[in-house]
Amino acid sequence: MALLQTNNVVKRFGGLIAVNKMTFSVDAGKIVSIIGPNGAGKTTFFNTLTGIYTPEEGQIQFKDHSLIGLRPDQVAATGIARTFQNIRLFGSMTVLENILVGMHIQLKQNAVDTIFRSKKFHEEEKDAEQRAKELMAFVGLKNVGNELARNLPYGGQRRIEIARALAATPTLLLLDEPTAGMNPNESEDAIKLFRRIRDEKGITILMIEHDMRVVMGISEHISVMDYGEKIAEGSPAEIRSNQRVIEAYLGRGAAVAHEQKA
Amino acid sequence: MKQIAANPVYKFFLFPIGQILLFALGASVVLSLATVLLAYLFKFNVTDFDLVERTMLLLPQVIINGLTIGFVYSTIALGYTMVYGVLEFINFSHSEIFMVGGIVGIQLMAYFEHIGVLATMNEYLVITLAILLALVVSGALAVTVERVAYKPLRGAPKLVPLISAIGMSFFLQDIVRLILSLTTGEFNVILPKFGTFDEFWKIAIPGMEEPLRIQTKSVLIVGVAMLMLVILNFLVNGTKVGKAIRAVAQDRPSASLMGINVNQIISITFLIGGALGGAAGVLFALKATKLDPFSGFFPGLKAFTSAVLGGIGNLTGALLGGLVLGLLESFSASYLGIFTNGAFGAEYKDIFAFAVLIIVLIFRPSGLLGQTVGQKV
Amino acid sequence: MKTLFSDLYKKANTGFWPIVIAFVFMIVGTVTLFQNPRSLGSFLVLMTTPVILYFMKMPMKIKVFIGLLIVVIILPVIGIKNIFILEVIFQMAVFAALALGLNIVIGMAGLLDLGYVAFYAVGAYAWAIFGSKQMSLLYSIPGAAPANAEFFLDARWFWLFLFLGIGLAALTGILLGLPVLRVKGDYLAIVTLGFGEVIRVLALNLDKPINLTNGPQGITPIQRPPLPPEGVLMFFRSFLEPLVGHEVSDAEFYNVMFYFLALIIIAIVIVVATRLEDSRIGRAWTAIREDETAAIAMGIPLVKMKLAAFAAGASFAGAMGALYAANRTFVSPETFSFQVSIGVLTMVILGGLGSIPGVIFGASAVTLLNIQILQNLSLYLSDLRQSDAVIPIINFAWKDLSNQLDPAKYQKLVFGIILILMMIFRPSGLIPAERRQRELGEEKE
Ligand SMILES: Nc1ncnc2c1ncn2[C@@H]1O[C@H](COP(=O)(O)OP(=O)(O)O)[C@@H](O)[C@H]1O
Ligand SMILES: [Mg+2]
Repeated sequence: MALLQTNNVVKRFGGLIAVNKMTFSVDAGKIVSIIGPNGAGKTTFFNTLTGIYTPEEGQIQFKDHSLIGLRPDQVAATGIARTFQNIRLFGSMTVLENILVGMHIQLKQNAVDTIFRSKKFHEEEKDAEQRAKELMAFVGLKNVGNELARNLPYGGQRRIEIARALAATPTLLLLDEPTAGMNPNESEDAIKLFRRIRDEKGITILMIEHDMRVVMGISEHISVMDYGEKIAEGSPAEIRSNQRVIEAYLGRGAAVAHEQKA
Repeated sequence: MKQIAANPVYKFFLFPIGQILLFALGASVVLSLATVLLAYLFKFNVTDFDLVERTMLLLPQVIINGLTIGFVYSTIALGYTMVYGVLEFINFSHSEIFMVGGIVGIQLMAYFEHIGVLATMNEYLVITLAILLALVVSGALAVTVERVAYKPLRGAPKLVPLISAIGMSFFLQDIVRLILSLTTGEFNVILPKFGTFDEFWKIAIPGMEEPLRIQTKSVLIVGVAMLMLVILNFLVNGTKVGKAIRAVAQDRPSASLMGINVNQIISITFLIGGALGGAAGVLFALKATKLDPFSGFFPGLKAFTSAVLGGIGNLTGALLGGLVLGLLESFSASYLGIFTNGAFGAEYKDIFAFAVLIIVLIFRPSGLLGQTVGQKV
Repeated sequence: MKTLFSDLYKKANTGFWPIVIAFVFMIVGTVTLFQNPRSLGSFLVLMTTPVILYFMKMPMKIKVFIGLLIVVIILPVIGIKNIFILEVIFQMAVFAALALGLNIVIGMAGLLDLGYVAFYAVGAYAWAIFGSKQMSLLYSIPGAAPANAEFFLDARWFWLFLFLGIGLAALTGILLGLPVLRVKGDYLAIVTLGFGEVIRVLALNLDKPINLTNGPQGITPIQRPPLPPEGVLMFFRSFLEPLVGHEVSDAEFYNVMFYFLALIIIAIVIVVATRLEDSRIGRAWTAIREDETAAIAMGIPLVKMKLAAFAAGASFAGAMGALYAANRTFVSPETFSFQVSIGVLTMVILGGLGSIPGVIFGASAVTLLNIQILQNLSLYLSDLRQSDAVIPIINFAWKDLSNQLDPAKYQKLVFGIILILMMIFRPSGLIPAERRQRELGEEKE
């Protein structure tokens, strides 16, 4: 059975249908990508998955929960973590604290523990700090734990955002354009990181990605969206040669030219 | 049909006036029906007289009072809603802009009285001059305030300009107090007596013993407020500047890319909102007959509530919200005491208005006419 | 010029110099204040000492020692000599506690609460109603109290009401927060402002149908908790009286007791606030303040955490309210005006949003400004008015100065200017918040 399964999900903004009848699934343990032109509705689809928007129609099933009607924090508690297209770190908190925020669901300390600094509190905090350090090392960050998140360079911020999402020990990780703005070297590192997240931590990854080298290099399954609809899906090889995908990306004329060349 | 709609006389004159009258009438009717219904429910509570009959008897007067104050609220609320529409920012000091308009208007009349011409001048000319002066002073003040206290903070976290606006509100209250105190020796300003505004029109209603009494003032206030609203409607929907304002409100970055001078448009928005507030201040002064530097606070709070009630950012909503709130206030001031047999009286009308705000925010967070637009993520 | 100062400061901030400076300020302030208890200047010198302790480098033990010396011994003794000093300090403490509470709501969680004073009122009225004769007067008309009315509760119940004040205020916070915290952040300011007014209007008008609050006249007398037993007082008298040179009355002991109560509350508030801040709860608050969308996506339940912030902030105000009612033996609706809420906001903003030392500094500075500096300025101006002095060049006789120019009456102006200037030039406050640095044991490059 699929880890995540959506059925005819529809999300409208006024007259605009941003997501139209999306039926889509992600199998456990896979790295899956969604691609599509700007404005295709990819981010909006992520937002309906994570409870930020409530879809007007359709079902979303994750493990054995229905996600429809859950608040984003409740969705997070089922084991879905995410990053954002435009990085959304807590800028005035330190890198370490950002990651600790990611552990919010796991931490069990309550107000009484906190105010009286119980043994449980100290142990949990120490443990959390240790895990945060490991996560920083895992995503390849060194000596930045005490830096304010907003003071880090762009690539570092992307990594912290991933570390923060991993801190929630999710089953499914949603990445929204994680390599946007990176140079080829950085993208290369990012690909390695994504593989390690899946291989070493066993986390299923669903990502939106524009960089075709990344998409083709890492995805085991690709879905293509255009005008809110899924217009194609399949393995990287299948997507590469799919007529509608080329049309969507390059326009009709280009597709014809492509066909003639082939 | 399309042709009629495009006709400027219809579009900028008949339609808005029709809409205003419709709102006024609709809100009055709905509230009246609700009140009469309540009167039946509370009948057992009152034994000395027939509650339903008493309710009916008071109704016309209550509605007129409510509409009068409602139009003032609407006019102030437009200032809040315009600025919010453009900047997503609650202009806390708008209540003081309004207060300054009222005080300036009264001071002009007092000046006329001082030089001895007030009694001989045409009363409508006096009012017109007072309103014009208030328009100019309050408009200019609003623009200045924006330049000094808000503009440097554009792009800062939302809390920052909001706190600056609260500071500005306090600052203006005490500065006005200081200026008044130093120049006149005290800070209460009192509307001089002149003209025939305090007189009543008496309209006999068939089937009622007492005639309906409408103060000339009330008619004047409603008339001027409607005029303002029509002018504003024309400014926003019929001119290039209005188009630019709407564009900036909808999408500031794109508007800027289209060559609209965003700073200028923001200034103009404050100018229009402030001027309207100033005019409303004079209207309010006519009714209240006495102002001080702190008189802006409650009407400001009510007007903001009106704007939220109608759907903040929505001009028509502010109009409707103001009327509804004015009526609600008038109804609660008159009927709370009667219905509860004197246990709770008119002093709870402010609480009533506040309760309405909370209820609206819970059940219709985007107001009566607002549409929900999710934030972009 | 600037480098000269910073060089000088750097030199002064090494070795034993900071300790010397702190001691000099403390001793000079204490001695001059002892001789001249009304002197504002001496008071300021003494109050500079804690600032020095905070900023300059010296061993923690010495900081604590000097701090305790001032707070526990010097201030009470001077306060007995001159009651006004203790009054100023007590007010500082009350406002510091209020500001620390508001700081949780606005500084940590980023929720602009403009009706904060309402929670203070709840705590104050709770003890005012039960700790006075009001319960026996429920059915009498305000102002026409029968002479033989009894106090409803024994004065010792005050201690319970200190805690009840906490609970009641927290409950009020939750009841208000439940509907309100779901709405957009923008509206919160207005809704809380309205709520503050509602509480005030209720206090003003709930003298009918039953006389709960005694309306605009307020409730008095309110009982104070009993002083410690006579034996304890005798012990303190034995060494205090030679020091201050007069007999120490019960009224003076009461002032000292309330001073220490306020201090204890502040200490608790500080401990609770710092511990909350550096925990899962505090991090969630900061996350919400920084970015609600990202916070909720991390699994932080927004409404629940915001309610917690509201309740925590409110509870401090509730405790302070009960203490205030007992200290004044009088409450009236005017004590809880919107202006007080903005005053507390000004303290938080001036000191630094989210910064605990900043907020305490802001509260002290603004309180001092309000009840000492502006007051003194007013007195000074009125003295000038009575004199024959003339401002030279412009030839202005002070006599002609309008008596409307009374700085003590222009607090709103001061609050307004502070708020605007701080937002434009230093939005993070005079002593900005710092994030805790941890020992991470990472290798340094
Ligand atoms: N909150 C919103 N309100 C209105 N329209 C929106 C909102 N969010 C996204 N849209 C619109 O939905 C469409 C899809 O956007 P998005 O999901 O961001 O596309 P993608 O991520 O594929 O580039 C776009 O036309 C966008 O303008
Ligand atoms: Mg996107």
